[in-house]
Amino acid sequence: MQVVSVEQGQVCMRLTPQSWMFSQEDTKEICTSVLYSLADSAGGLAVFAGALELMPIATLDLRMDYLRPAGGDQALLAVATCRHLTDEVAFIHCDILSEGNRELLATANATFMRNTQGQQFHAGGRERESA
Amino acid sequence: MSTIGDSAQHISGAGESGKECPDWQALLERIPYARHLGLEVQRGDAGVLVHLPCREALIGNFMLPALHGGVLGALIELTARVAAQSQDTETRCPRILDSHINYLRSAKARSTFARADIVRQGRRTSLVQVTCWQGDENKPIATGQVQLLLPTMAAQQEDRHGH
Repeated sequence: MQVVSVEQGQVCMRLTPQSWMFSQEDTKEICTSVLYSLADSAGGLAVFAGALELMPIATLDLRMDYLRPAGGDQALLAVATCRHLTDEVAFIHCDILSEGNRELLATANATFMRNTQGQQFHAGGRERESA
Repeated sequence: MSTIGDSAQHISGAGESGKECPDWQALLERIPYARHLGLEVQRGDAGVLVHLPCREALIGNFMLPALHGGVLGALIELTARVAAQSQDTETRCPRILDSHINYLRSAKARSTFARADIVRQGRRTSLVQVTCWQGDENKPIATGQVQLLLPTMAAQQEDRHGH
């Protein structure tokens, strides 16, 4: 997976298909789970792009809709957008397309928890300092 | 082979059991991506499990370390697909329509197991609920619901009624 671009609140990632990513022996169709991984990775990066800082995050949930089969002859592009950000949560939308084609292959909506470890660190950190 | 408490013992004692298990393994082995992940079928007391052995390539966060969320997604989707396919009398290859996965606990870098429960197996679609856990089955690390479409052809439907 390569990162193509990072703008404020939006990330584009690219994945070149390999034969081990296919969903069946006899077809050159990429397994949906590969698209899932791509959406999860791009979504996580979009949280950082939206927050403009690096903090530990955790995926709370991710919902994928697979609109079309993904052919293995072209690279996949994932465009993940941070739709809304609160102190604790980030809402991400991600579209997956074939390179050079405008038709959507899959869409994803994900919720990420922000500052997952940071909060624990802060909560316990002060006490430890004074102790 | 790793140990997973109670379930592992049930599996080892179930040598003669059902024909479903080799079927699942055969179905998984036809999926290049499942082979890449190293998914393997085990038979437990409560039914068939899919085991994802841990290896370094599957780790998404080396700081924790934790499995990549996408790897769990793949385990859930592929378990659902094989479960739906094994229930189908013609083992038609289902197409995954959507999946919704909730992450409940952090996934540590260790063996992970998945169990599928078929919510509804229809003529055209199948809804499968998958639960994933590491050491303790009562502490799931993720659950997912996967909706699958079974390819329909008039001839195949005719066949179904014959079984």
